[in-house]
Amino acid sequence: MAMEGDVGSGLIAIGAGLAVGLTGLGAGMGEKDVGAAAVGAITENPGIFGKAMIFMVIPETIVIFGLVIAIIAIFAM
Amino acid sequence: MPLPESMSRVVVVGTKSRIEEAIEAFYSTRALHPVDHVSGADGMSVGTPLPANSKASERLLKVRAMKKELGVTETTETAKVAVDEIKNKIASGSVESTETEVLKVLDVKNDLKQRIAELNIRKKNLEFLMAVPVDLELYSGYRSLAVIAGTVKEDPSEALKSLADSESFVSFRKKEGGTAAVFVRTENKDKAASILSEYGFSEIQVPEGKGPVSEALVQTEKEVADLCDKLESVEKEVEALQTKHRTFLRASEEELSIEIEKGEVPLRIAVGEYSYIMDAWVPMNMVQSVTAELESRLGNDVHVEFEETRGRNMHEEEKAEERFKKVPTKSKNGIIAKEFEYATSLVATPKYQEIDPSILVMFFLPLFFGFMIGDCGYAIPFIILGAYGLKVTHHKDWRAIATVLFFGGIWAFVFGFFFFGEALGMHFIGHWEPPLDMTWEGLLGIHLPEWFTGIMVDGHGISKLGSHVSMLLKLSVYIGIVHLLLGYVCGYLNVKRQHGSRHAFMEKGGWIVMFSGMVVLCYALTQVLFDSVPLEGTVMYLLVIGIVMVATGVAVASRTDGIMAILELPGMVGNILSYTRLVAIGMSKAGMAMAFNYIVFGMIMGMSESVVWPSIPILVIGLLLFAFLHLAVWTLGILSAGLHALRLQFVELMTKFFEGGGTEYKPLKVKRIKTILTQTKIDKEV
Repeated sequence: MAMEGDVGSGLIAIGAGLAVGLTGLGAGMGEKDVGAAAVGAITENPGIFGKAMIFMVIPETIVIFGLVIAIIAIFAM
Repeated sequence: MPLPESMSRVVVVGTKSRIEEAIEAFYSTRALHPVDHVSGADGMSVGTPLPANSKASERLLKVRAMKKELGVTETTETAKVAVDEIKNKIASGSVESTETEVLKVLDVKNDLKQRIAELNIRKKNLEFLMAVPVDLELYSGYRSLAVIAGTVKEDPSEALKSLADSESFVSFRKKEGGTAAVFVRTENKDKAASILSEYGFSEIQVPEGKGPVSEALVQTEKEVADLCDKLESVEKEVEALQTKHRTFLRASEEELSIEIEKGEVPLRIAVGEYSYIMDAWVPMNMVQSVTAELESRLGNDVHVEFEETRGRNMHEEEKAEERFKKVPTKSKNGIIAKEFEYATSLVATPKYQEIDPSILVMFFLPLFFGFMIGDCGYAIPFIILGAYGLKVTHHKDWRAIATVLFFGGIWAFVFGFFFFGEALGMHFIGHWEPPLDMTWEGLLGIHLPEWFTGIMVDGHGISKLGSHVSMLLKLSVYIGIVHLLLGYVCGYLNVKRQHGSRHAFMEKGGWIVMFSGMVVLCYALTQVLFDSVPLEGTVMYLLVIGIVMVATGVAVASRTDGIMAILELPGMVGNILSYTRLVAIGMSKAGMAMAFNYIVFGMIMGMSESVVWPSIPILVIGLLLFAFLHLAVWTLGILSAGLHALRLQFVELMTKFFEGGGTEYKPLKVKRIKTILTQTKIDKEV
């Protein structure tokens, strides 16, 4: 773990935080629209839950990437 | 990989005079999925409902109305009734006689309720008028005098003084409002009303009667109390009626619904002047038994003709007549995979010609769930909850969830014990060095035997939050590669069955080559870029092989998918990296558990340096907090691990091969819950 007390470690921690935070923000913005539409569509036809869920979770992959980058930054650098 | 069951099409022809018996026979086979007849096809139109249906519908309506009025719901406990018994009761007019009995009591109840409501309004008006010292008979019976009485929100006393030839009674309290009664000449009524309207006036109907208001109020209250007593006794009668008739109502509702369903079968088949024709799909291995069953019940009055057994090649579907194109899908899954059909059905019903993904979901969904949880402490409640759910629930939604929890829990235990070697966020083996190293050995001050440490990977399990992170990330990527490759291979097998090998290679083979090439290429690139391996020897060969495979794959796939083949290349990498969530979510759970453990043991119990057990009260508080915090992690585990494991099946796996859009196989059969068959009929469920 690169968690010493120097400036480099601090920058890594900031970078990891930004990676998760910004991707989380992006995913949230994406899911906001998809989720609203999906809930409306499911109310009309509950049979499309699975398809709606697929669309719903597509933007959320980005935050997982952010989390992975953060993990690599903290543990592997 | 299992395909849906092979289906055959049969035509059942019979004499119209025995259509009712024929319908009973169709239901007794429990295997005929009728193809809805289109009027005009084969020169025949659809039939009309059986004559008994209209009476049955009328009775069903009455039964449902009675059920609602008496408060008999689907959860009301009732006994089972023999079918013959309920049929006889319905035929002998029990529905009508019960309705007469029930309506008699309900009418009394409704009258009483209405009377009580009227009296309550009277009571309320009288309460308002209590403040006005005027007897009731004085409010009416004038020729040239108008009376306005009602409630006010503000005090109108001063304003009312301006009215000539009038007498006003106002009782007002600042917080509660008040009552005003104005006696005024008829021609001044509008003026009085207009003055009052400015003070939030709301007119009330002065109740009829004589004498002081207080006496009338006492009388009304007495009447209300009497009627409430009567209502109470009537409600007891209604309750007694519910107890008396609930079994009959539920059983007759079920029986009548079944009768109506059966009576509507002619609407789905072709019926002529003397005969009926029904086209139906039957599981291939049941054609003979269905034919034998129908012939044994209807003798010479029925003829069953085998038409075809539909293959999986799409040419067969294209050649078929429009109404026979779609074959219903009857899943052929084992007892466990069956519980996962619900997950598949959330996306779509599989087509007759394609692999049912339920079996893959059965394997991977609990596996991924278990890997993400990866903790013995959380696994055991999952197993118990899942087993309990499977035992008590029959609803398919809950059964599906219970199945995932049960098998996911088992996987979580396996991973948690052997692979990660931890329970409730703490490893079994190791020293006590909070916050990163908190172990059960250290906490309990014991030393676990050698054989115990020997059964765990690496002697003490893999650490989710330490030096093994890179290895775990790689592992999750490898799991993803296998999972995705399986999806591509299933896609290839689907197209091969539907259109032949050549078509399959052109449509899906290119993608498999491209995917494999991408994996090799990415491996070589990571070696060079991240591990600083020189670009020579094996790595060089792998790089070249990867590039060649990707190029070949793109060349083949672009013939069917065009530019999409190139655009999908980054998508493939994205798909693979998407599996890193297996570790990411596991780590987030472990991180939360570690933080909570440190809060409890390190901060509250004061064991941040070494294990020194605190006093009893602190220990109790700490343990309660420990249970609560881990319950929170456990609950979040269901949501995050469950949803992400499902997502990997829906988005990553199924999109590679699953098209869906099939028709569910729904044979003519009935499910009895409240009616039972008598012993003589038990083998011939109809």
